[in-house]
Amino acid sequence: MAPILSMIVLIPLIFAALALLTKTKEQARAIALTGTVIVLLLTVYMYFNFDSTIAANQFEELVEWVPSLGITYHLGVDGIAMPLILLNAIVLPLLVLFTWNDDRKSPNKFYALILATEGAVIGVFTALDFFLFYIFWELTLIPLFFMVSIWGGPNKHHASIKFFIYTHVASLVMLLGIFGLYFAAWDMTGTPTLDIPTLISQFQFIESGIAKDLIFLALLFGFIVKIPSFPFHSWLPDAYTEAPTAGSVLFVMLKIGGYGLFKVMLPMLPFTASPNMMISIMAVLGSVSILYGAFLALSQKDLKRMVAYSSVSHMGYVTLGAAGLVSLSVSGAMFQQFSHGLIMSVMFMSCGIINNATGTRIINDLGGLAQKMPKLAVIMVLIFMASLGLPGLSGFIAEVSVLAGSFVNLPVYVMIALLAIVITAAYHLWALQRAMFGVYNERLGTVTDISTYQTFSMGVIAILVLYFGLNPSPVLDMMLTNSEHIISLMAAMGV
Amino acid sequence: MAVENYAFLIPLLPALAFVLTFFLGKKLPKGGAIIPIVAITISFVISLLITLNLLANPEEVINQSYSWFAILNIGILVDPLAAVMLTMVSLVSLLIHIYSVGYMSHDKSPSRYFAETALFTASMLGLVLSDNILQLFVCWELVGVCSYLLIGFWYEKPSAATAAKKAFLTTRVGDVMFLAGIIILFSDLFKIFNGTIPDGIYILRFDEIFAHIPDIAAMNANIFGMEVSHITLITLLFFGGAIGKSGQFPLHVWLPDAMEGPTTVSALIHAATMVTAGVYLVARTFPMFIAAPDSLMVVAYVGAFTAIFAATMGIVMNDLKRVLAYSTISQLGYMMLGLGVGAAIGAEAVGISLFHLINHAFFKALLFLCAGSVIHAVGTHDMRQLGGVAKVMPITAATMVAASLALAGIGIPGTSIGTSGFFSKDAIIENAYLFGDTTGAWIPYALSIVAALLTSLYIFRLLFMTFYGKPRTDYGGHESPGSMTVPLSILALFALFFGGLTSKTFNTFVSETFVNNFVNLNIHELASIGGYHLASHGGHHEPMLILWMPLIVALVGFLIAFLIYGLKIVNMDSLVSRNNPIYKLLYNRYYQNAIFTDFFSVKVIYEGFAFAGRAIERGFDWIVNWLSNLTLEAGESLRQFQTGVVQNYATVVITGVSLLVILIKVVMEVI
Repeated sequence: MAPILSMIVLIPLIFAALALLTKTKEQARAIALTGTVIVLLLTVYMYFNFDSTIAANQFEELVEWVPSLGITYHLGVDGIAMPLILLNAIVLPLLVLFTWNDDRKSPNKFYALILATEGAVIGVFTALDFFLFYIFWELTLIPLFFMVSIWGGPNKHHASIKFFIYTHVASLVMLLGIFGLYFAAWDMTGTPTLDIPTLISQFQFIESGIAKDLIFLALLFGFIVKIPSFPFHSWLPDAYTEAPTAGSVLFVMLKIGGYGLFKVMLPMLPFTASPNMMISIMAVLGSVSILYGAFLALSQKDLKRMVAYSSVSHMGYVTLGAAGLVSLSVSGAMFQQFSHGLIMSVMFMSCGIINNATGTRIINDLGGLAQKMPKLAVIMVLIFMASLGLPGLSGFIAEVSVLAGSFVNLPVYVMIALLAIVITAAYHLWALQRAMFGVYNERLGTVTDISTYQTFSMGVIAILVLYFGLNPSPVLDMMLTNSEHIISLMAAMGV
Repeated sequence: MAVENYAFLIPLLPALAFVLTFFLGKKLPKGGAIIPIVAITISFVISLLITLNLLANPEEVINQSYSWFAILNIGILVDPLAAVMLTMVSLVSLLIHIYSVGYMSHDKSPSRYFAETALFTASMLGLVLSDNILQLFVCWELVGVCSYLLIGFWYEKPSAATAAKKAFLTTRVGDVMFLAGIIILFSDLFKIFNGTIPDGIYILRFDEIFAHIPDIAAMNANIFGMEVSHITLITLLFFGGAIGKSGQFPLHVWLPDAMEGPTTVSALIHAATMVTAGVYLVARTFPMFIAAPDSLMVVAYVGAFTAIFAATMGIVMNDLKRVLAYSTISQLGYMMLGLGVGAAIGAEAVGISLFHLINHAFFKALLFLCAGSVIHAVGTHDMRQLGGVAKVMPITAATMVAASLALAGIGIPGTSIGTSGFFSKDAIIENAYLFGDTTGAWIPYALSIVAALLTSLYIFRLLFMTFYGKPRTDYGGHESPGSMTVPLSILALFALFFGGLTSKTFNTFVSETFVNNFVNLNIHELASIGGYHLASHGGHHEPMLILWMPLIVALVGFLIAFLIYGLKIVNMDSLVSRNNPIYKLLYNRYYQNAIFTDFFSVKVIYEGFAFAGRAIERGFDWIVNWLSNLTLEAGESLRQFQTGVVQNYATVVITGVSLLVILIKVVMEVI
């Protein structure tokens, strides 16, 4: 069988190098589209050959690499990773189409960075060896850093450096956790290994309770900052807001923090010395993120910044659902990652379009855009409704699963999260009303509706949001399989 | 061909009509109105056939369930309760759609209008058909968003955009309570099943919920030191949802503003598709309410209070549509009261309340469509500028009178002569008397009687001010076209005769909703869990005066209106003045806007909490920046960092990793 996972990781990276060599916008975007479409086709092929009834890793590739240190080239996907790969594979070609007619400096670098991000992110989702995992993890930082610092807004230098240092520090703490696990297991078994499934299974045999808790917390910190969760979110509003539209969408695709939570944290959770404390930490961070992000979003004047804060709020559901430890809540949290990726991409695309058309993103300076941009208005209303959790759209499935599932074990935290629902509706509708409805603000000059390419890319994602809202099973089933697997492991341990 | 197998088409066809009209409507004449009209006609025919089948065989209800996701399902349930709702919703919606063809003929985007009303209808039909509480919630929210879109239909008008937002957010407060109720219910059932739900069991389906009522009632929560049964908690949260959707105090504030949309939308919202959802929710989960101590009492009190509270505001409004809006709130209060009296009469309350719901749907749709007809013709809805409209628009005026008689509940007690509203509203008031007799709580009855007087007063005031006398301004006007007057006439027939023709069969039919092949509940046993003592059957013999009381107060109301606005014997100027504190209080609608919107929403939530959040956020930012500046300045590494030379990165990474390894080794040794 062809090494399909290596292909979907390497093809974007190879095409990134190719794109870098191009001279014109036309060549660069053609390369980018080809690369991302190939990845999409391979991913779709993989999706249809994926067995969603088993929790094990599939399409595995295992090659010895540095035996003396226990490093292997080990790839594989399970029901946690598959939907996220699918998400990236779907959105990236649409993102390329979205930017199809944009004029910007050095398009070759621009498209190279998009492709590089895709390769690195998929790399994180497929790596089953901590060495590879960490390399890809860090690799995602670099293209995003340049994305912000080259094509970003007026405050781009501050935002890019803040993002880089903040998440890099978090990565280093995570690396500490990885090393701790690695050396502890090495001491115990006498053989070094960086294999993720092996290390996770050996975690429980570490004798020192403090060591186990420290390892867990270090890894948790690395993931939590990336999600990001309150109170480690402050890199996000700056980075998301200052990034160009494509950069913001790439940030949204960066679901590696939540992925780590499900893939690494939850299987280790029952074996820590104080699992209840760990659950409480995650539950507090999750529920406070939901509420705090919502209030912050309500107070923003800049539309894009509002969307960025709403992202913090929505990602709180991921942390809360993971802490819920019921298969419904865990799978709901996984689904939230998938759904949030789709919804936020269109949210940021809308912000980008409004900024390009009117030259401002300050909500109060807009007004009545729906009259001039009816197509954008339809898509925006739909996607804002999805973002505020309207049933029939994908966000609702995730949120209701997380809330209902988590309530079984964490009633108080769910009640905190529920308080945010009205606030969430308020800032979405408030923004829609002031930006899109009412009398058209003539000072904005003449604006034209979105182009065919933009309509297509946003429309396809919007339709997917609707589709997965009505029928989540195509991705939710595999998530459920994996959540049930995790929960059954815990039940066996009596957690 | 069994019609039962096509029940799923009832909501699906209008949903399909939404898609088709949305994408193709612009290219068709009249905005593609024909698509939803055909779709809803078929829905109506299916609903009617199913209802007739059910009437013959009320125990053979239709239930089809399919797995949706995880352990949740989608499905349809058509029992007597659902059947009558489906028939009414599809019929009223159909008539409103036909009427809209004429009404919206001058609008610039009729296709969007018809697409959205089709979706509105589909959502409501889906809500009614739900066989599980989550699907009901899903449709409930869709109803909410459709109302948002339609109230804000003329979105270029800032007042419309504001009213739409207010409606959505206010009902959202109720929706969150409803959702919280569902979540608690889910977690209770999940615990009852010990976390392992057998295949084929959908835990949020109504039969599962009802089967576990005793278990849920046995669970207690400690809230601020009070022991509250989970069943009470859940039902009160559900009722919170109903308060929002059905415009009960204190979440009614959105409804009077909701008339910013086209008048036909008001008719849809007020009669068929939106506000009845809350009443339906309580009726649908009635077995839970009757097993919940205190919940039904809360329902009865809130309903009765809303009935009178809204009616007091109805008598001072000068806007034609606003009077009707307050009238709706008040009548919904009656429906809630009708459910609340279930504490005394059991499942019969569902029949009584639903009967008023259906009758109200007919006459309220009619009232709004008449108002629309007037507004369409004369271009204003300020009653002070109208007067004498009856001469210009005889059909509209005649149908309006029919609707008003129904609303005021005119009829002769003890006979089967009377308007629709007479049979249903009087039944509620009489049972409120019985409720007082059984439970000792007389306040709901007293409020409902006074509200009946006010109802009659405000509606006849409206009639006299609008249709009677001489025109106060030169508004011109003409009778509306046939596509508008025919639906009016059909509705008028229903408003006059539906109640009288069906009153006996209706109540028995709907009251038996909980005994069939889907659920088979002993309401008396459930009532004993809730601690209610039901009055014995057939033993209701109210004194003669009680039977006549509603009619008497209605006539008094009419008389007052006639003296003031008809004969103008009493000079209104002395009463209607800024110096009269009661008038001022009523006219300013008890200052609810100032309290809820200006103070609570804007000052507390938006300016208070949100800005506090921003201050905290600045604090975080400051800490992070301070930390990073400290590090960066100390090492002067910022400059090197930006050189972009690969070797620098490599050196940093290798040094860093080595240091980390050493650190870890040291820590491991210590531990």
